[in-house]
Parts: sequence; structure tokens; C-alpha cells
Amino acid sequence: MTAKVADPKTVLLRADHLRRQIGDDFRDRIVSSLYADARRIADRSVRVGAEQKWDWDQKVDRIVTSPVLGLPIMLGILALVFWITIVGANYPSQMLAEFFFVVESTAVALFTDWGVPAWITGFIWNGVFRGLSWVVSVMLPPMAIFFPLFTILEDLGYLPRVAFNLDWLFRKSGAHGKQALTMAMGFGCNAAGVTATRVIDSPRERLIAILTNNFVPCNGRFPTLIMLATIFVAAAFPPAFASFAAAGAVVGVVLIGVGFTLLASWLLARTVLQGEASAFTLELPPYRRPSILRILYTSLIDRTIFVLWRAIMTAAPAGAVIWILANINIAGVSLAQRSADFLDLLGFAIGLDGVILLAYVIAIPANEIVVPTMLMIYMGVGMMSDVTSYGEIRTLLVEQQGWTMLTAINLMLFSLLHNPCATTIITIWKETRSARWTTIGALMPLAFAFAVTFAVATLWRIFA
Amino acid sequence: MTDSISVWLLSLLLLALAAAWPNVGLWAQWKRSLAQRDRRLFEDALKHFITWEHRSQAATPESLAGALALSQRRTLDLIVRMETRGLVRSDTGALTLTPEGERWALHVVRAHRLWETYLSDDAGMPMERVHRAAEIAEHQLSAENLDQLDAHLGHPESDPHGDPIPTVEGAVKPLDAVALTEWPQGEPARVVHIEDEPDVIFRQIVAAGLRPGSTIRILENSPQRLVVSDGSAEHRLAHVVAANIQVAEAQRATRPTGTRRLSELRAGEAAEVFELDVSCRGFSRRRLLDLGMTPQARVEVALDNPFGDPRGFRVRGTTIALRKQQADKVWIKTQKVSHDPESAAEVTHA
Repeated sequence: MTAKVADPKTVLLRADHLRRQIGDDFRDRIVSSLYADARRIADRSVRVGAEQKWDWDQKVDRIVTSPVLGLPIMLGILALVFWITIVGANYPSQMLAEFFFVVESTAVALFTDWGVPAWITGFIWNGVFRGLSWVVSVMLPPMAIFFPLFTILEDLGYLPRVAFNLDWLFRKSGAHGKQALTMAMGFGCNAAGVTATRVIDSPRERLIAILTNNFVPCNGRFPTLIMLATIFVAAAFPPAFASFAAAGAVVGVVLIGVGFTLLASWLLARTVLQGEASAFTLELPPYRRPSILRILYTSLIDRTIFVLWRAIMTAAPAGAVIWILANINIAGVSLAQRSADFLDLLGFAIGLDGVILLAYVIAIPANEIVVPTMLMIYMGVGMMSDVTSYGEIRTLLVEQQGWTMLTAINLMLFSLLHNPCATTIITIWKETRSARWTTIGALMPLAFAFAVTFAVATLWRIFA
Repeated sequence: MTDSISVWLLSLLLLALAAAWPNVGLWAQWKRSLAQRDRRLFEDALKHFITWEHRSQAATPESLAGALALSQRRTLDLIVRMETRGLVRSDTGALTLTPEGERWALHVVRAHRLWETYLSDDAGMPMERVHRAAEIAEHQLSAENLDQLDAHLGHPESDPHGDPIPTVEGAVKPLDAVALTEWPQGEPARVVHIEDEPDVIFRQIVAAGLRPGSTIRILENSPQRLVVSDGSAEHRLAHVVAANIQVAEAQRATRPTGTRRLSELRAGEAAEVFELDVSCRGFSRRRLLDLGMTPQARVEVALDNPFGDPRGFRVRGTTIALRKQQADKVWIKTQKVSHDPESAAEVTHA
């Protein structure tokens, strides 16, 4: 026998020929034999005590997935997470804002001393830097609290139980139960939620999850919701209950968002994304004690810093745009004011006003600058305003700008439903590689937002 | 005045641009749709020729006109055009495919069957809808598309109907089977192919749960009907329906009586997996296998759901939630004695 090197083509042909002889069920047999081997090894080397741990797990499972307690427990945990975030983020946010303000005023003073032209100083420090400092001080504390809390739930093994509890809702709307997981991720950041849809195997249901993820309010939108909840809802309650009322209102908005997610999924599954529900398999892992170090690492490094960095990258140019719009005057009126006037009629139709709409146009790169932009245009100052106390904001909005309960409700709805931010749109493009789905993902929520706010405004004006 | 003229001019210019823009303009789109329509016509004709060749029948202009619902004049025109392209020849008396035509025809057949497999196994589209969807997609897939799809699906040998999928080289594994109506009564038979046309009959077969790979046995063969059993259920089929099912010698017996679906398992019962249903193919099958739903694995209900769906099952030390649709695909038996050390151990404990 002489050793000879076979021609690659012959080898391939032979392999192909052999492949056709092993039958269709070779995968079944491979997996079966893998499990049999694993079993043999485990029997030899692992001694199994009584399955006490599992009994305990099963007891917990019976409670958290029970028909009576399952849903209340879920809502309770959600409300608790929001409450801790609202209460805990307030103080650090103010400290950060004050710190940035000191940096800014010092820098402005220095620049003026050096004789730098005023427009450069204004552009850099009152435009770009102030945009950055708003985003950091408004976003960082809630994220640094929310993400670890969320990761604890994830680590505990609670989230798959949520998916288990909610699957029937998603099944009825033609979607996948794991969409509950990607939605939970969307609370942190919709772009992250869109990426997380990779856990859904079937392309159809994955697309549904991608296109509807935006109906879950993300961290960038929570400050708006929290502010409105605090100013308009919590103000009606005694101070001791104010934070609970605010958390409750935010949970309410989230539930409306879940409702719209299901509605949009149902509509998609019956129109452009028809098909049967595909394979649904969900592992319910045993409950584990969360490891604190790992949680801090994944939530702070992987999530918080990552999301914050992206927000900064988009907020800086947005800050510059705002500064330019507010400081270029035509016939004595700033560009910002002119655009707001232009949008005013459309804004009125949906119960808002031109300024709010303009703020949303400017805030396409990053939702967290909506509020400061709005305040800036209202006050007519040429830069984003500093973080002021909620009391002052309330005076400005209600007494000077004529905001009503309708404005607050519709702004919450608009904030919940409107188009995803630029980062999320780019992520949808990256995940789907389709201009068509990216367009639908961007415009469908916007259509929802206009339709719903218009309906609410019209009904409100008729009946109230 | 000048304003309105310039507005008109501008609109005209925009219209002209929209019409003439390369690749995306209306003119380019129209040209492309013409080319696409041509491709469809050619490919449908090629499919007709290759189908008849496989049946060892000679295709004629009449058969082609019938299959494509074309007038005689247009059929002749099509044949002439295909001859000039070197796809068919008629000099031997009958219409036959040239090697070039055969290659293209096999590409279309491969596209059709691979796409059906993808829709059914990967995208989870119901069997009765894949054929129509593939009739459209087969004209749009390129050779590279097909190679990627083939690799993605793990080089499947047959489509969901049991039709063999041609290889890249154009090799087609012949179907060695007879119609169910000609199979001897009582002998176990394996379904190897289900004719996907006509649609009405195909839907009946699918509704009965019969798939390529099912093992069945004829219980009764009367002039009115056939009664077949797959071990768990009996199905009554008219002869015209049964004639569309092709069978071959079975590799094993039908499922023993007493096998049930996992979805029927009640809390507190234990059972072992018998097999995964043949209709569970591709991705969803791999998924269930990976989770440990292999034959002889012990399963029990871990978590019932107040809403009925999904339910949690305990298998191999983990809890896995399945919707009813998935749990229907797993056949179980409650019988305790087994050669598997895992369940044997359980029995001795009990």
C-alpha cells in the first residue's frame, strides 16, 4: 500500500456520496449517543443526593407562575424597580448637574479671559458641553441603578418565569414568548432590546419583536415620564406618597406600552408577517444566588457605560444643533422659534405644541435631550437650560406655557409611542439588513403615536 | 407667471428623472419586470419538460400549452425562442431538453424544493402553504442563494413532501416507491412522498397527520376507502387521496399502542420519550433534541400553566417550557421497563 494524497474533488464527491447513505435521522442518533455517553460518565463520577433543591425551586415556581399571584408579583417587582430608580437617582443627578455647571462656568470664564470669540465659547461650552452634561447627569444615575437591579432579576432566573407567565398573551398575538425578555431588555435601551431579539430563533417572530421593541420606554425616555409623573400625577398626592404615585404612573405608562406591543404584534402577524407560531422552547433554569461582582461588571461595564457612551456620541452633535438653531436669528426671530411656530398647528392637533414637536425632531439622535431642549425654547434662552427643580419646571409649563393635563397625558403617550431614536434605527438596520423593515420599524411607531395622541386630544376636547 | 412656468418645468424635470433614472427609474423597472416575466415563462416551461422526462413521457407543444395555460400561437413562439437559446430541441420528433436546458431546469427544481424545505422546517410555515410560496420564490433565487440555503439547512436530501432535492451537480436520487393503493394490506409501510397537487387532496393528507417518514399499516381496503393506522390513530382515505401517497418498505413497525403525545401527560405522571414526530423537522427538531428530548429520556410535568400554555416539563434534570404545539410533536409511553440505565434506576427506586 502506498500512501497517496487524494484529489480534493474525489474526497468531496466520496463524502457527498457517503452522506447520502447515512439516512435522515443521523442527527437524532448522534444526539442520542451524546446523551447516552454523558449519562454514563455522569453515573460513574457524579453522586446525586435527593433532589431537594429542585423541590424548593418547584415551590417557588408554583408561586411566581400561579394564576392569582403571578401577575401581581410581576407588577410589584416592576414597580419596586422603578421606585428605587426614581428615588435613588434624584440626588446623584442633581450633584452631577451641579458639578458640570461649575466646570462649564469656570471654562466659560477662562475662555472669556483668553479673548476667545463669544460664539466659539458659546458653541463649545453652552452647546456641545451642556448637551453632554445633561445626558450624563440625567441618564447615568438611573442607569447605574436600573441596570444592576435588572441584572439581579436576570441572574436570579426570574426573567424566564416572566416569559413563561406572559407567553399566552404573545401566542395570541402571533408572537414569541421570549419577546417578553427582549422587552425587559428594552427598558434599559431599545437598541439593546433589538439586539437581544437574537434569542428568538424564528425569523418571523424575531422581526415582530424587533419592530415592536420601541413600545417599551427606554432609559432615555424614563426621565421625561418620571418628570411628568412627578409634576402632574404626584403633585396631586401628599408628599409622603408622591414617589409611590410617580412610580405607579410610570408602571401605568409601561402597561400601556405593553398593550401597544401586543396590539402591534397582532397587527403585524395578521398583515405583513403572516405565519404560524414557530417552535417555542424556553429553559427555566434553577434559581441561583446572584453573584454581586459579576452583576456590577456586566451591568456597569457592559450596559451602563456602553449605552452612556452611545448617548454621549449622539448628544454632543445634537447639543451643537440646538445651539445653532437657537442662536441664528432671521429678522429678529431665532430659527428654533420659527420652526416651532411652523409645527404649532400639527402640535395642537395632537394635544401638544410646536415646541414639543421640534424638541422631538432635534432629539431623534437621543431621546434624553427632549426635556432640556423643550425648556430651552420655551425660555427663549440661547442654550439648553440647567437642571432646575421640578417646582420651577411646573411653574414654567403650567402657568406660562398653558400646559394642561391633556398636554401631560399626550406627551407621555407620544414619548412612549413615537419613532425610535437614531441608534435604535441603525441597530434595526444592522439586525435586519433590510431598508424596508428599517423604514417600517421607524415609521410604524410614529404613525401609532400620531393616531393615538390625535384621538385622545379630539375626545378630550369634545368631552372635557 | 414666471413662477408657475418654473414650477411646471421643475415637475416635468422630476418626472423625467423618475422615469429615466438608471436601475431604479420606471423605465429600468419596466425592463426588469419584462425580463423577470420572461424568466418565469422559460422556467415554468423547463419544469414542465423535466417533469415529463422523469415520467419517461415525451412533452409535446400541446402538453406545454396546457401546463402553462398559453395559446397555441404563444406556445409555439416560446418553443422557438427556447430553441434559439439552445434549451430544447425538437429535431428528434419529441421536445427534449438539451444539456444546457436540463441544467437550468434542475436549478429551478432545486430552488423550489430547497425553498419549500426552508419555509416548512426553518420558518415554520404550514405545509399546505409552502408549495405556492415556492412557486414564486423559485424564479428569484440565484445559484449562490441556493448554495447558501443548502448549507444553512444542512444539505437536506428531500423536501417536506418527500421529493428528492437535486445536488449542485444535478444528481437526483430516484424515488423508489409505489402508490399506497397498491401496497399489501397489513404490511407496515413508510410514507416516502406526498404529491403536493391537487391542493385539496394534499390538505386532506396533511390534516390526517401523515408525512414523509410516517410508518403506517393498511387495516382495511374496500372499494370505497382505505383505512390506515399509524399506531396511534386511524385515518379513512378515499382511493383518489391514497393514490397521491407513495410508500416503500418500512424500516420499523408502527408506533406501539399506548404511545401518547407529551401534551397529554398529566401532572404527577412520569413517562419516557418514545420518538419525535416525523413532522417535526429541521430547526425545531434539533432544538428539541438538544434539550434532551431523545428516545428513552424520562419526562414529567414540572409546571402546569393556568392559561394552558406553555407547560413546564422536567427532562434530564432541567425544566423546559413547551407550547402545546411543540409538546404535540413528542411521542411518549408510560411503560416503565426499559434498557436505559437512567429509567432503569428510577424503576428500582420505586
